[in-house]
Amino acid sequence: MRRRIIKRIEDLGAIVVDAARAARELWLVFVGTIAGLVRRWGEGEARSPKGELARQLHAIGNRSVLFVVVTLGFIGMVMSYQACLQLARITGDFSQIGQQFIRLIVTDFGPTLTGMMLATRVGAGIAAELGSMKVTEQIDALRMSGVLPIDYLIVPRFLASLVMTLALSVLGSVVMFGLGGLTAKLSFGVNPQLFFDVSLVRPRHLVIFILKALAYGAAIPVVAGFCGLRARGSSEGVGWATTAAVIGGSFAVIVLDFVISATALFLTGGDL
Amino acid sequence: MSLVSFVKITKAFGGKPVLRGLDLAVDKGEVMFIIGTSGVGKSVTIKLLIGLLAIDGGEIWFDGARIDQLPERALGPIRKRIGMVFQNSTLFDSMTLVDNVALPLRKHGRFRGAAALAEARRLLALVYMDEHAERYPAELSDGMRKRAAIARTLALDPEVVLFDEPTTGLDPVSARRIDRLIRELADKLGVTAIVVSHDPPSIFGIADRVCMIYQGIAHVVASPAELRASTDPIVQQFITGQSSGPMETPGF
Repeated sequence: MRRRIIKRIEDLGAIVVDAARAARELWLVFVGTIAGLVRRWGEGEARSPKGELARQLHAIGNRSVLFVVVTLGFIGMVMSYQACLQLARITGDFSQIGQQFIRLIVTDFGPTLTGMMLATRVGAGIAAELGSMKVTEQIDALRMSGVLPIDYLIVPRFLASLVMTLALSVLGSVVMFGLGGLTAKLSFGVNPQLFFDVSLVRPRHLVIFILKALAYGAAIPVVAGFCGLRARGSSEGVGWATTAAVIGGSFAVIVLDFVISATALFLTGGDL
Repeated sequence: MSLVSFVKITKAFGGKPVLRGLDLAVDKGEVMFIIGTSGVGKSVTIKLLIGLLAIDGGEIWFDGARIDQLPERALGPIRKRIGMVFQNSTLFDSMTLVDNVALPLRKHGRFRGAAALAEARRLLALVYMDEHAERYPAELSDGMRKRAAIARTLALDPEVVLFDEPTTGLDPVSARRIDRLIRELADKLGVTAIVVSHDPPSIFGIADRVCMIYQGIAHVVASPAELRASTDPIVQQFITGQSSGPMETPGF
């Protein structure tokens, strides 16, 4: 009995130690990425292959357009329909629906849903690519060639993700709002002029939108890169890294959403 | 004094010890083979030397300086002097051979622009691969990829080259060509070669000395002739490839 308790405590301790070690490594990848950005800026010379940034902008951004537009479009339609349905049952007054809908999209759903979508599509791609390189020793070969893997592999993805998460958040939000308005018009006869009213959107909402998009854009490649670089063994290790990147990236988006929203509420005294 | 020394090296993975006090010294200009059964720690040993893995205990010395405690950045100059040819060649798939070989030249600042490409072509010619310079790794056979990987390793003009199972997976003719290349590096360029292998024709064909790792230590360090003449039952079982004998092989 005593031995079993000691074993349990040891297992728990091992989990805590592993988690602490992983958190430290994640932090080091983040710091290394920022340092790599500074080096790239300072030296005026990319430490990644020629044209890599353009390739990553295309891979992360252009190839995600359809995925983000379709997903956010459908979510916008469902949300708009449900909101109109509830209002029709209670008051039948649709005068506030568009104003509140766009405010919600700008402060939360636009960047956050885009971030969640990119955490799955982009995060999985980055982790699988880096994980494959890790288990086939290509990362070690880079280190032997005098190349810092973070500078070479993560920094261009980080930059591309920052730019494209912001751009796709804008696009996704526009589609979400547009299709939401169309749904409201076709299902409940809501006047488009009434729906497409952005007068409640203030500059502070736009600041939150940009902050969230940039935070998600930074978190997704760092988490995915960290998972890829931790891959061990063979294909099973790459699979683990990919799964961990999707879970970790999505989790990071949700946590950052909460932190930024809570901070904004605190700073504005609840008058967001 | 030896160029490379491993002193009482210990290394474990997930609590399972692999190396339990390995001692090995490699002299300048020699071709040292490290042999042993799978999972015994041969590849681990050479990766410890260049900091791709960290030791748990012991000391590693290179050219009179202790290098096992150096941080990643400080390992850069060491990795210029010690190159490694990986088991799977590990050429970068998205680059042509000439770009693969030029990468370390550019990154370590030896050459820039067109000069790096010209030097890369010269190195590919050394391994008889210059006519394939513009091809991608996926278009080549395993033997050709190995030769290109050797050219990339030579780009930094290393004093020591580590070969991780250079002939594994190759047909006998390609394997002997790789052996010849390794021997030429030592004889013509004075490069010290540390070769991880289980390939008897390589071991008895080109090695100056052989270190057999067994149960985490250097069980025997001897010349190929001494190894062949050894009456040690562990050594005999390994070199004759008998499935039954005193050797403990985890997993079998």
